[in-house]
Amino acid sequence: MSAIDTRPLLTLESVDQPEQQLAHYQQLVKKYGSPLLVFDADVLRNKFESLQKALPGVDLYYAVKAHPDSHIVSVIDALGGGFDIASAGEMDLLLQHKISGRRTIHTHPIKKDQEIRDALRFGATTFVVDNLYELKKLVNYRSRIGVLLRISFRSESAKVDLSKKFGCSPDEVIGLVSAAEQLGIHIKGLSFHVGSQVDDPAKHVEAVHACHSLMEQVNLSANKPLSVLDIGGGFPADYALTGFDIQAFCAPIREALNTLPSDWHIIAEPGRYLIAPAVTSITTVAGKSHRNGFVWYYLDDGIYGSYSGQLFDHAVYPLQVFRGGKKHASIIAGPTCDSIDVVAENILMPSLEIGDLIVGHQMGAYTAATKTRFNSLPDAKLIVENQ
Amino acid sequence: MKHFKETLYDAVCQEYRIDKMYFESKTSHQHLMIFHNAQLGRVMTLDGIVQTTEADEFIYHEMLAHVPMLAHGEAKRILIIGGGDGGMLREVVKHPIDHVTQVEIDQSVVDMAIEYLPKHSNGAYQDPRLNLVIDDGFNFVKNFAASGEPRFDVIISDSTDPIGPGEVLFSDDFYQYAKQCLADDGVMVTQNGVPFFQADELQNTQQRMSSLYSDMRFYCAPVPSYYGGFMTFAWGTDNTGASAPELSVLQQRFSALGIKTRYYNPAIHGASFALPQYVIDSLTPSTDNVENGQ
Repeated sequence: MSAIDTRPLLTLESVDQPEQQLAHYQQLVKKYGSPLLVFDADVLRNKFESLQKALPGVDLYYAVKAHPDSHIVSVIDALGGGFDIASAGEMDLLLQHKISGRRTIHTHPIKKDQEIRDALRFGATTFVVDNLYELKKLVNYRSRIGVLLRISFRSESAKVDLSKKFGCSPDEVIGLVSAAEQLGIHIKGLSFHVGSQVDDPAKHVEAVHACHSLMEQVNLSANKPLSVLDIGGGFPADYALTGFDIQAFCAPIREALNTLPSDWHIIAEPGRYLIAPAVTSITTVAGKSHRNGFVWYYLDDGIYGSYSGQLFDHAVYPLQVFRGGKKHASIIAGPTCDSIDVVAENILMPSLEIGDLIVGHQMGAYTAATKTRFNSLPDAKLIVENQ
Repeated sequence: MKHFKETLYDAVCQEYRIDKMYFESKTSHQHLMIFHNAQLGRVMTLDGIVQTTEADEFIYHEMLAHVPMLAHGEAKRILIIGGGDGGMLREVVKHPIDHVTQVEIDQSVVDMAIEYLPKHSNGAYQDPRLNLVIDDGFNFVKNFAASGEPRFDVIISDSTDPIGPGEVLFSDDFYQYAKQCLADDGVMVTQNGVPFFQADELQNTQQRMSSLYSDMRFYCAPVPSYYGGFMTFAWGTDNTGASAPELSVLQQRFSALGIKTRYYNPAIHGASFALPQYVIDSLTPSTDNVENGQ
């Protein structure tokens, strides 16, 4: 038997004015159907401004992959943010909003030639590489581009380790910059990703310092100095609902960035921190049964849909139900026929009825982005509030 | 959007104020705009790059049309590849030609230019000597080369940049087929970018064309909206007479033509083949000047 699911579960007893919340969600379902993803643009605006305040002077490039949605892009656009893109599909999304390629960075370290050409036509001029093979692919386009060299700093605490698959080791930097110079390609700076959803900022700080000294070292001899540092993402979402404080989290990073030369350009690629709290999932209990000592609830959305991040992104989303009282060992399952389509296994929960709503919080990042169409089930419709 | 920022280079860009948007189309891989700018008149951009502006298009079109045609002296059959805005055609039909074929990949570009950039074609699309072909320029030269039809005296490749819809017009095969479409004493010219920023384009074209023509050179003119100083045009011919016409001959042909130009004149014609030293240097790349060539 699996361990008890200890994620935050909000019940009637644990929130103020649950009736109002419930009425709001019920109204949305009545109007738009179920399942839903509800995007609150004000939350995104608030998070963007908080992060901007926590990292003053840092240009924020929203990681479109976290949730490639038109409404979200339009809010970031209005806030004057940049966009971190990695594919032609993401560029098409920005093109629909007439967003200039000058406001984007193309961050995929591995690209086919056609992808490079598509990105140039779109107007992206910043590219990321982490090895010599990739550098050589850029030779034909060298007059148009500026390149960031991605370095790998492994993070023990990151839920998603982004330095395992990409990034050169710090001791390769000097050699790659010099190889690029010989190829006539301009390396304009370094980038790193300590991982996604990191617990503490120590790795960011360590990486900033390491990049600082590498860049200074390169700049002693480089023809064209390195002047851009991309500190990646990793800023966490508050899946534990503990009232995460971004100002406090970023304070040591801010301090480390303050030691850099003031004419360097510092950029970041936040995705999860910005969008996770801005989207809420609403699902409906479609069926119920009692099996092997558990109460089973079958929802109309699950692991193959909005909850796909529980599988791909290792995220565990806080849930909310609108019942109280005695809790029973329960299993919340998704709508497909697959037995892995389980959202919460062995969770202690008040008794629900068929037709009840289950709400998932912090569900904006890497949720709909990785959904599938398995079983040809309809996917959750995204609706927007406070656009 | 109230400003257009060009996306041609990473570290520098020119920015235009958009005073009035006339036309904008976004398809999955293409973004075309025509807008008015107080300084430059109507401006057409494609995929973030300035294609043409009303204020300075005359420099480009006069130099790419009149230089090969007056150098040839008896050009009767002309082929224009690209040039959908109509500016090249407008200059070409000022000459006493028998026939001009223009190959444009997209009819909508022509229609759009007639409507929103009317000064570019200035009615030239109505010229009875015109055969407008809607086809890929590469396909056209490939098929024409095998057709046995009378070849062209002058071929003008008025393409977009090497990255984008015009990329096949920068391939080895295109240059070879184009040569097969050209009369023995014909002249081929192409737009070739701004070498101050795009030295690679110069070298690539030289590699492709120099083996095909006994006389392969570049000439240049500064087009302000093609930011970066001189734009180069590639020149290829086996006609030694066209390569170095006497100034007096050019003057005679030019005055016989009786047209008013704003950039071209016979003295500029000859002088435009004199290249700045940095352009000459970037045609002979060595490890020393890779950086300088950027």
